[in-house]
Amino acid sequence: MRRYEVFLKKDGRDEFRHAGSLDAPDDELALVLARESYARRAEGDRLWLVDREHVILGDPEFISPNADKPHRHNDGKAIAEHRRNVREGGS
Amino acid sequence: MTGLGTAVREFLLAFADDEHLMGQQHTEWIGVAPFLEEDLAFSSIAQDELGHAAALYAIVAGDGDPVDDDLRIDELAFRPSPGDWRSAQLVEVAAGDWAHALVRHWLYDAAEQLRWEQVAQSSLAPLAEAAARAEREERYHRRHADGLLDVLLPVPDSGERLQTALADLLPLAVGLFDPVAGEVEAVANGVASAPFDTRLDEWTDRVRRRFDVDPSQIQPAPPTGRLERHPDFGPMLVRMREVMDLDPAAVW
Repeated sequence: MRRYEVFLKKDGRDEFRHAGSLDAPDDELALVLARESYARRAEGDRLWLVDREHVILGDPEFISPNADKPHRHNDGKAIAEHRRNVREGGS
Repeated sequence: MTGLGTAVREFLLAFADDEHLMGQQHTEWIGVAPFLEEDLAFSSIAQDELGHAAALYAIVAGDGDPVDDDLRIDELAFRPSPGDWRSAQLVEVAAGDWAHALVRHWLYDAAEQLRWEQVAQSSLAPLAEAAARAEREERYHRRHADGLLDVLLPVPDSGERLQTALADLLPLAVGLFDPVAGEVEAVANGVASAPFDTRLDEWTDRVRRRFDVDPSQIQPAPPTGRLERHPDFGPMLVRMREVMDLDPAAVW
């Protein structure tokens, strides 16, 4: 058995979203079985299947150094305050 | 169309009964199919076959003009007397294991495709409509059965089990093509385009290519005119009617 990741897309401008995963012996059966496992109520009208072996992994050790960089979380408040101050003749 | 007439009614009933019992047989794998995804796919296929049966019973119950009345459809679909059924023995026999269930699924659906083609241009409009809808679903059924056989036939253990199942089921499967009561009239009225046994060679050829076996070497079971039930039919009918028989007067 191979493991596949299933992505579904609704009609229109929606993006593909991860729906779940699936075990199947080959690509053809994965497609056949995915339809009834994940789209039996027409939850999407397009389907991507990705063999998990083809997924390129970024693990936490690789990602986590970015976890303590609050300066990248600009919510706009500081800048808005600064501009208000300038407008009102302040510093 | 004003009335089906007894002959065409019999003809449609045989088709409906086959679809009904094929669906019923498939549903008996719900929860016990070999793996979860297969469980879902196979029960969907069962549901489709029951839907085809309901469409055909609705035409019969409405005498050509489909009824939207579950009670009247159930009355036909759950006839208590085995002698009133017109099913083929292939859909009556119990599948001993998954190999039998899968091989029967393939054999039946290969024949079912041809059978719907026979009525795709039917003079009975609701029947032609049912055929169009069924074919959209049947494409999936065939892909499902073929997908599994592609994987399982080349493996020695499963391949052997499938060939055993094929040898058991082929004689009964050929019986699907036996002329049914009312077929002559159905063809004369344009309800069907030709007798079903005109498609037997085509089906046989597909079986040969799929399983690498010559079905002409397999002796078909003696034709019963669909008047004799397989010994496995009785217990299945009891299971099918179990809830209904608890309280025949219940309103759902």
